[in-house]
Amino acid sequence: MKIKLNVEDSPRIKELKFTLKRIKETPLSLVGLAIIILFTIIAIAAPVLAPPRFGRDPYIIPRYGYFPEPQPPSPEHPFGTTEGQYDLYYGVIWGTRTAYRIGILVVSVSALIGIIIGSLAGYYKGIIDEVLMRLTDIILAFPGLILAMALVVAFGPGLNSITLALILVGWPTYARLIRGEFLRITSEDFVEAAKAIGCSDFRVIVKHILPNAIFPLLVVASLDIGAIVITAAALSFLGLGAPEGYADWGQLIALSRNWITGTADNPFAYWHTYTIPGLFLFFFVMGWNLLGDALRDILDPMIRRR
Amino acid sequence: MSTGLRTYVIRRLILLIPTLIGITILIFGITQLFDPVERASLYITNPKQARFAEEIIKKYGLDQPFYIQYFNWLSQVIQGNLGWSQSLHMPVLEALMTRFSATAELVLYSAPLIIILGIFLGKISAVKRNTAIDHMTRVIAIIGWSLPAFWLGIILLAVFYGGLGIFPPGRLSPWAEAMIRSGEFKVYTGLYTIDAILNLNWPIFVDALSHLVLPVITLTTINVALIMRVMRSSMLEQLSKTYIIAARARGLDEKTVIDRHASKNALIPVITLSGLLTAGLLSGMVITETIFEFKGIGYFAAHAATQLDIPAVLGFALFAGIIFVIANLIVDILYAYIDPRIKLG
Amino acid sequence: MPEILENKEQLKVKDLIIRFYTYEGIVKAVEKARLQLRKGETLGIVGETGSGKSVTALTIMALTPSPGKIEGGDIYFKRGNGHIVNILKMNENELIRIRGKEISMIFQEPNAALDPLYKVGDQITEAIYAHRFKEVLRKAIQLLQKDLESANNSIGTRLELWVYNKMEKDPASKSISILRRLPIVKNIITRKLRQVVREEIIELLKLMEIPDPERVIDSYPHELSGGMQQRVIIAIALACSPTLLLADEPTTNLDVTVQAQIIDLIMRLKEKFGTSIIYITHDMGIIAEISDRVAVMYAGNVVEVAPVKELFKNPLHPYTKALLESIPRPGSPFKSIPGNIPNLVNPPSGCRFHPRCRYIMSICRHKIPELVKISEDHYVACFLYGGEVNGQHSDYSGSEEVLPDKRGTF
Repeated sequence: MKIKLNVEDSPRIKELKFTLKRIKETPLSLVGLAIIILFTIIAIAAPVLAPPRFGRDPYIIPRYGYFPEPQPPSPEHPFGTTEGQYDLYYGVIWGTRTAYRIGILVVSVSALIGIIIGSLAGYYKGIIDEVLMRLTDIILAFPGLILAMALVVAFGPGLNSITLALILVGWPTYARLIRGEFLRITSEDFVEAAKAIGCSDFRVIVKHILPNAIFPLLVVASLDIGAIVITAAALSFLGLGAPEGYADWGQLIALSRNWITGTADNPFAYWHTYTIPGLFLFFFVMGWNLLGDALRDILDPMIRRR
Repeated sequence: MSTGLRTYVIRRLILLIPTLIGITILIFGITQLFDPVERASLYITNPKQARFAEEIIKKYGLDQPFYIQYFNWLSQVIQGNLGWSQSLHMPVLEALMTRFSATAELVLYSAPLIIILGIFLGKISAVKRNTAIDHMTRVIAIIGWSLPAFWLGIILLAVFYGGLGIFPPGRLSPWAEAMIRSGEFKVYTGLYTIDAILNLNWPIFVDALSHLVLPVITLTTINVALIMRVMRSSMLEQLSKTYIIAARARGLDEKTVIDRHASKNALIPVITLSGLLTAGLLSGMVITETIFEFKGIGYFAAHAATQLDIPAVLGFALFAGIIFVIANLIVDILYAYIDPRIKLG
Repeated sequence: MPEILENKEQLKVKDLIIRFYTYEGIVKAVEKARLQLRKGETLGIVGETGSGKSVTALTIMALTPSPGKIEGGDIYFKRGNGHIVNILKMNENELIRIRGKEISMIFQEPNAALDPLYKVGDQITEAIYAHRFKEVLRKAIQLLQKDLESANNSIGTRLELWVYNKMEKDPASKSISILRRLPIVKNIITRKLRQVVREEIIELLKLMEIPDPERVIDSYPHELSGGMQQRVIIAIALACSPTLLLADEPTTNLDVTVQAQIIDLIMRLKEKFGTSIIYITHDMGIIAEISDRVAVMYAGNVVEVAPVKELFKNPLHPYTKALLESIPRPGSPFKSIPGNIPNLVNPPSGCRFHPRCRYIMSICRHKIPELVKISEDHYVACFLYGGEVNGQHSDYSGSEEVLPDKRGTF
């Protein structure tokens, strides 16, 4: 697919084409994109790849007994079983869906809240800006994981609590970003011009400012998905998230904790219990990080034209 | 310290107060999510007092409006009463104080490693831009950043401890702990490697160090990407600036241009980030400490969270917030000290 | 070796081609540019943004900014010792010795050209150390020896002298370089050296007509005004007495009054040091004031070269004429040049000015005119005056005379 740059295209189309072209040219971002597409397919095809038991919540992993010792991979269980005989293959497949659910939900809601608050602060400035920025400062004063932990304890453990906690902890980053972009852009002339010809505030924000502020947001969002999924997995790992038996990568890794040292003669007897869910988690996050990092480089104005 | 700097420091210290108040309000707000009986444990310093929940509720006005409660609570906090932790069986504040040294020791070795390695990799990456070295460094950094801390820790433990039997979890081997408890070994700082040196006790030094290896590797691998990335983009930005061309135009050799001029300017944002990173490490190594059973404040916070021990978790969060804010302040002051362009008046 | 440079010539740029490899395509920034500088003269280069003048100046020092690449041409320079070198064929080690010492540059934004983290005095010192270290060292040694002969016979003095002697005999000595890095020690052992340099810098700054050099030496760049910063830049440029000074729009960003001061200063310094100057600007007024000869650049080509009076009296190239006409004069209507600066990724075919030229002929669209000698020292690249003699291209080097076969009417 060739992307031709014409000098006559409108600036925005030109920038977009340029960005796409650069993505094509950066091998790392293509690798990231490929990984993401792969996981997306897995998530969508979960019911086909690992058919759930009839009538049950598909996110509960089927159990094949209650024996504590995890079983190695076999024809019936391609990835083996975990402690408590949960089928690992089923777990990681549906775990992909869980990861996407949490990741996309948290990032999109935080971003939305962040856009709204950041726009208000950046556009109207003054007292509104002061107040809102104080609020974001206070939330940002805490390390994310800690605050999320406290919130989850308050809400009661569970995936929904994690989701809510991560949203509450995550929106300030987006708000700051959008606000910063607003402050930068509103000082430029074309905003004055738009206002001078009578555009309403809302119109100016949506039509003129947001499209410019969107690019850095996309960079942050794609890097954030990875971070969110890791944090959620960490919280699940600690026992604050999904209950045992739920298809969640962090939870699956938690189940492997007791089996790290293996048996007396084979230290890696239970390698599948921690390696496999971990690899899924790792590659998922890496795919998004590769894409986000490449995007960041491409969109960085200092590095862009060289 | 010049007067300009002094006034800047004072000004920032004063500005610190509203932020600290804000933090306490946030934490307090979270406490409101619990009902009065649960909140009572925030005010006691002794488990036996738990029986007198009714009286506590009356005393601290837990059924009173928000602001009265807040002041009651705040005055308690300022006096050092962060409540009683039932999962740790001690007052929260004491738990924080005694466990902090473990976390500090971990940060002592990780932070410098992360910063120095990150700066080094970022600089090479920028100077040899778009070459093989650049790409390799960036990929390694991204891999490190994508690794979930708990997974990396587990893998490392499985390989080294499970497989090779070296670098065990925890802070010390049982024999070392016994020696410390017995009193033969004087604890000065709580950082076992330092104390071992002060005690001239080589075996304990080695033992403590061997327990530190895996956690430090884990932390470094994951966090080096952060510093490297900023150093790289900062260097690239500086290298395209006019004063660099001007420096070359004066006949300075490339090494001087890069080391004396570009690097120094590029380091400024990196220093800020390093300060924040260290603060983040001090207040938030929950996962790493849990995996390696390294009994610092993060380990106990996680432990408390799983036990739904509210005062401990909230106390820990408050502590983390305060450290973060103070670290921010130190970083700002450092920034002003280093960069002559900052107006201090 | 054939005589590449004439007797009077100091710098010759021949058929320079510079291209920038950007994502939007290859920018043909400089296309077969030719320039000639004579010893002791001021050559003004005038042109709009995008004419390639700044890039050419940087390339004279082999500092073409990336993503630019030199794709052809030669730059011949006569060094102080009489040797003629081709700048584009030298390696980095040799170039370092020329930059700052024989060819210096001053910049458009003085604030941006100084490192914000170092005091101004330290930056000037750096330049002096880079090229004149031995000289300064010798002076310090002599002074120390005189101190020893007089009553000042302390251990410190003798230690310093020992260190300096070692530095002189064995410049690459590792132990010395370590000593020079140690925080407190380095200040002690370089005391005399720094004193010597400081005095030199103060003299230099006084020469720059800076009223209180002591204060300026210890200031940071941002603490100085624009005019002061530019004087510092000039000081750094002249610290090692270069034979050629490249001035890239040094006054464009300054206030008008300061502009005049700086230009005066440059001219006086030129008188004093005998430096040749290449002065780049888009301001015809400055050109008129300071140049001996002028080269007009448009879209990467040199289109006309003439002594300054001749250029203003008798502009030949349509672009030059338009430039002169567009200087605003009170009372007359404002005249601008129609059209836009061409896109250099896809430059116009043939003569790059042809889309905006009112004298356009059909040949202008197909062929690129070369510089042709019209009269004594006056060259122009335009088909109105020839530029092509039966397929044989005319050579602008002062030695041949090619009579044009057509003179247009103006």
